[in-house]
Amino acid sequence: MTELSLRIAVSLAQIAAVMGVVMLTVMILTLAERKVLGWMQDRMGPMEVGPYGILQPIADGLKLFFKEDIVPAGANKFMFTLAPILAMVPALIGFAVIPFGPSQKFELFGISVEPFVISDINIGILYILAFASIGAYGIILGGWASNSKYSLLGGLRSAAQVISYELNVGLAITGVLILAGSLSLMKITEAQAGGFWRWYVFALPAPQILAFVVYVISAVAETNRVPFDLPEAESELVAGFFTEYSGMRFAFFFIAEYANMVLVSCVAAAMFLGGWNAPYPGTLLGHLGLDQLAWAENIAWFTVKTYFFLFLFFWLRATLPRLRYDQLMKFGWKVMLPIALGNIVVTSIAAYLFPRG
Amino acid sequence: MNFKAWLKTITFYEILVGMKATMAHLLNYTPITVQYPHEKRALPDNYRGMLALLRYDDGTEKCVGCDLCEAACPSRVIRVVSAEVPGEPTKRYSKEYYMDMTRCLFCGMCVDACPVDALAMTREFEWAVYDKRQLHLNKQQLLALGDRAFPVREKRLELQHPNVAFFNVSFGHLPQKPT
Repeated sequence: MTELSLRIAVSLAQIAAVMGVVMLTVMILTLAERKVLGWMQDRMGPMEVGPYGILQPIADGLKLFFKEDIVPAGANKFMFTLAPILAMVPALIGFAVIPFGPSQKFELFGISVEPFVISDINIGILYILAFASIGAYGIILGGWASNSKYSLLGGLRSAAQVISYELNVGLAITGVLILAGSLSLMKITEAQAGGFWRWYVFALPAPQILAFVVYVISAVAETNRVPFDLPEAESELVAGFFTEYSGMRFAFFFIAEYANMVLVSCVAAAMFLGGWNAPYPGTLLGHLGLDQLAWAENIAWFTVKTYFFLFLFFWLRATLPRLRYDQLMKFGWKVMLPIALGNIVVTSIAAYLFPRG
Repeated sequence: MNFKAWLKTITFYEILVGMKATMAHLLNYTPITVQYPHEKRALPDNYRGMLALLRYDDGTEKCVGCDLCEAACPSRVIRVVSAEVPGEPTKRYSKEYYMDMTRCLFCGMCVDACPVDALAMTREFEWAVYDKRQLHLNKQQLLALGDRAFPVREKRLELQHPNVAFFNVSFGHLPQKPT
């Protein structure tokens, strides 16, 4: 009984820590995006709240919290309320299987704990893909329930886009799954240990560089970011599926978008760039004889990789204009899909000819 | 599609060039933003700001109530009620003078039209108000604006140049400019 309650307490603490870090990252991202975009466009970004505007996320959060909560006339109130929750929960729940650090066990009050992953389930990546698909329902329902033509158009575009590009995400990571022989993100990451040449982007016998490119592009499209931000195209659809949303419901969609960005970045880092593995064999702290502290270096590497992808999102947003709808569909189905399928064939043959040792 | 164009397409050459441009701007970060309420940019010399009515250096109003500004105004901002100066039948002045600054487009044609330089444009521009009626200015407000913006005033017209005083028949009772 005590062991069970202890395990529950540890799990809850892990969940709280991960949620806290993700929420903190989302807060940092809202500021970082505006700052980086500003710097790339010779502007300053937010500068008013706090020194150099660093308290802007708090001001934004307070503003959204106190804003009037408007439900448009003719809206389906139940669906209208459900949609933001349906968008946010899947975005946050995916972090349950992300390994943030090495799988070493710590002894705590007599039970052994794996502190750097909430739950290392053996279908980890499948679980993330499943919940990412549920997140699309939030967007579609939000668009439909708003009783607004802009919202509906945004929701419909989102449906088509997410379905098209989720397929590519799934096919792009299949190559990695063939090489790793597991769906567990922990096992996939561990298989890439020992230097950057073992990461699946570069790893012989079948470097997944094409799959990596397909994955990154599809991930941008799946999170509805520029240049694939058709569901919320400001110049055409006001704000797309969340045109009619205000206050905390809007904040939920906002958090969902940024949490999704963090999630796909984490998955990209774990699947293709070796996750928490350093780009050299072992860890520097480990070589110095501080094996007990090596996890800190591993977590730092995971953070660096994740933030590299997040910066890439901002960078693409500062650079590229939005795609036209037919271009988006053509690119997804006629370019990305064949590349991903070809990659699976090549990887399968390579994995058959050079089986894992 | 020739080979070079194909190679550029599959390596995302154009996108990478664009990303290089944005990264170059990030690395040599020289913002052109002026943090407006805290720092203000220098206005050009011929800046056309808020309108104002002026006075001579003895404190009398320059305006003679001729209505030419009202006629020149393209958006009918100005309304002048002209009247005789009490006791001086040859002189007129503007008894009332209204400007509806909500309609003003700051073209400066009233200033050009004024024969006695009674109107001027100040360099004030921060005139955002919560109530539109506060932009409906009367004569006192316009004179106060002029006092605020132009502390150095001109002499009376007849004292500015001997020729003006010589040909001026309207102001016989005023002293001649000492030669």
